[in-house]
Amino acid sequence: MAEAQINHQDGRGGRKLLALPQWLTSEHPLPWLFPATAMLIIFGIYPVLYSLWLSFFKRNPATRVEKFDPSWNWSKLIADDRVWDAVVVTLTYTSVALIIQLVLGMLIALLLDSDRRGFGVLRALMTLPLVVPPAVTGMMFLLMYDGSFGVISHVLYDLGILSPNAPLLANGSTALLSVIIVDVWQWTPFMVLIMLAGLRALPKDPFEAAAIDGATDVQAFFRLTLPMMSKIIALAVLIRGIDLFRIYDYVKVMTDSGPGTATETLTAYTGTVYFKSADFPYASTVAIFTLLTVLVVANVFIKIFRVRF
Amino acid sequence: MASVNVEKLVKKYGDLEVLHSIDLDVEDGQFVVLLGPSGCGKSTLLRTIAGLESSTSGDISIGERNVNGMHPKDRNIAMVFQNYALYAHMKVRDNMAFSMHLNKTPAARIEERVNWAASILSLEPYLDRYPKELSGGQRQRVAMGRAIVRNPDVFLFDEPLSNLDAKLRVQMRTEIKELHKRLKTTTVYVTHDQIEAMTMADVVVIMRDGHIEQMGSPMEIYDNPANLFVAEFIGSPGMNLLAGKIVEDSGKMICRVGELDLPLPEQMNISAGQDVLYGIRPEHLIPSETGVKATINVVEPTGPETHLFCHMSGHDVCAVSRERMNWKADEVILVEPTLEYVHLFDAQTKEAIKRKT
Repeated sequence: MAEAQINHQDGRGGRKLLALPQWLTSEHPLPWLFPATAMLIIFGIYPVLYSLWLSFFKRNPATRVEKFDPSWNWSKLIADDRVWDAVVVTLTYTSVALIIQLVLGMLIALLLDSDRRGFGVLRALMTLPLVVPPAVTGMMFLLMYDGSFGVISHVLYDLGILSPNAPLLANGSTALLSVIIVDVWQWTPFMVLIMLAGLRALPKDPFEAAAIDGATDVQAFFRLTLPMMSKIIALAVLIRGIDLFRIYDYVKVMTDSGPGTATETLTAYTGTVYFKSADFPYASTVAIFTLLTVLVVANVFIKIFRVRF
Repeated sequence: MASVNVEKLVKKYGDLEVLHSIDLDVEDGQFVVLLGPSGCGKSTLLRTIAGLESSTSGDISIGERNVNGMHPKDRNIAMVFQNYALYAHMKVRDNMAFSMHLNKTPAARIEERVNWAASILSLEPYLDRYPKELSGGQRQRVAMGRAIVRNPDVFLFDEPLSNLDAKLRVQMRTEIKELHKRLKTTTVYVTHDQIEAMTMADVVVIMRDGHIEQMGSPMEIYDNPANLFVAEFIGSPGMNLLAGKIVEDSGKMICRVGELDLPLPEQMNISAGQDVLYGIRPEHLIPSETGVKATINVVEPTGPETHLFCHMSGHDVCAVSRERMNWKADEVILVEPTLEYVHLFDAQTKEAIKRKT
């Protein structure tokens, strides 16, 4: 009965039970691509182009007047030592954190790659740091690093590794490493997850064949596991590398680029120029420069390691 | 080369016992096929010999060495897997040389061994290709090449032909047999394909539910199945089995199946009134001038022979003839069991009833 009524309302007596607007049943790609494309244009492409446009203006902080002068900010950037210091800090931060996370991630994944009882729970527990907001992680470690009451500092004092006269984050030589350790704590589980997914997808037979062929576990790891995982490792390095390159939250919360500019990364410097100096055109220039650096480094990596998506 | 001896081998997964006190002796140079349906434990037995599975109790020796608990790499065995298990990121050459790279064999020796294996298996043109650039049959040959370069004591094959198409399977079967003839290496071969077992084996070991049901040469097993399981498992089309009773009829023992009286060979260890299964292979149930009436249901010509699926007073049987007669469905013919090939099985124990000697 109900069906008959709907058919009746449809008016054409066809088999269509629901009369949806035509654009919702379209087989043309445009209506389906429109929402995502619009988002991409509004929140991705437009801001980048606007930043680029902005970078061609010279701003007078006193009068707040912006004047078109395409070369001003870019020549300023090239002459700005703080930018080049930030490049060094960013590259150091990215590469050191990446190597530690990669090696640790692989080792932990190897340990957790087992079907024995309890390992599923361990794998789940392993991902817990990922659910903590990065700013909160930064605050947590700020407290633990604190020179007077922080637990990490006290353990290091007791071990004689650190002197109370030179607190971790206030010391130019330890501040960057201290921030890297926070990143490692939070993001190694991500690496573990990717590596575990890769390890668990490896076929078992070649390893049995290798065992019979005379390979020890260590030989099997270097001659089979690593080459078979190379694509996944490259992908993990790429994803984490780009992520590390835009480090902002830990630096902002923990050291605010200090002491001095010892932990000032490119994004942190961009933030400082933008929010503190209110020099929006120059901040945009540094941001575009950061983007270009990431693009170049990532593409060189993709070329060298033949990453395919 | 070496013999393989398995003694009272038990394998348990938790509480589940999958191999029950297996005894198996493979002589030096023998080609032994482990045959059985899925889940009978044949692969587990092979993998335990390889050291890929640990045994729960019992002993395994290869040659003079007891290999219990020994790592696979120390057993000097080579194994060919069902899905080849090649190293996808290595060229064919490196796949075959892998074991020698590991034990640091001099490069010249590696080259010589790989070329030798490649020539035996006709793999020379493919040495610099990757496994993904090869066909299934070529990959299987690479897997065999990887096994033979090492000159192992024992070859272990785990259903190596299951992933190949029918024609290639027949071809590879012959190649493996030739290889064995040439190298004379002790071989244990697992399959669920009875034709592979029959054609390749010196000794067939029939397994079921973690037990060895029967061991013997292919023809021994075919002609004298020890029990109903073996009789049904070997042979295609399968042995005709008719449930009947032994009756004494004017001084002679016969088997009464429904209204049918089937003749029996002399000297059987039977007594009147005994419940039995009367077994006769299709090729020993021959259309002839005399015998039992049967109505043809389906005629299946296979080329060399013709299979006749018939009703014989309520029972379905298959008869095979090599004659080229123009049989038709629903035709009534006479079929005659060849007496010397009649098998009797006890209806309770399912064991074969032996002849008096």
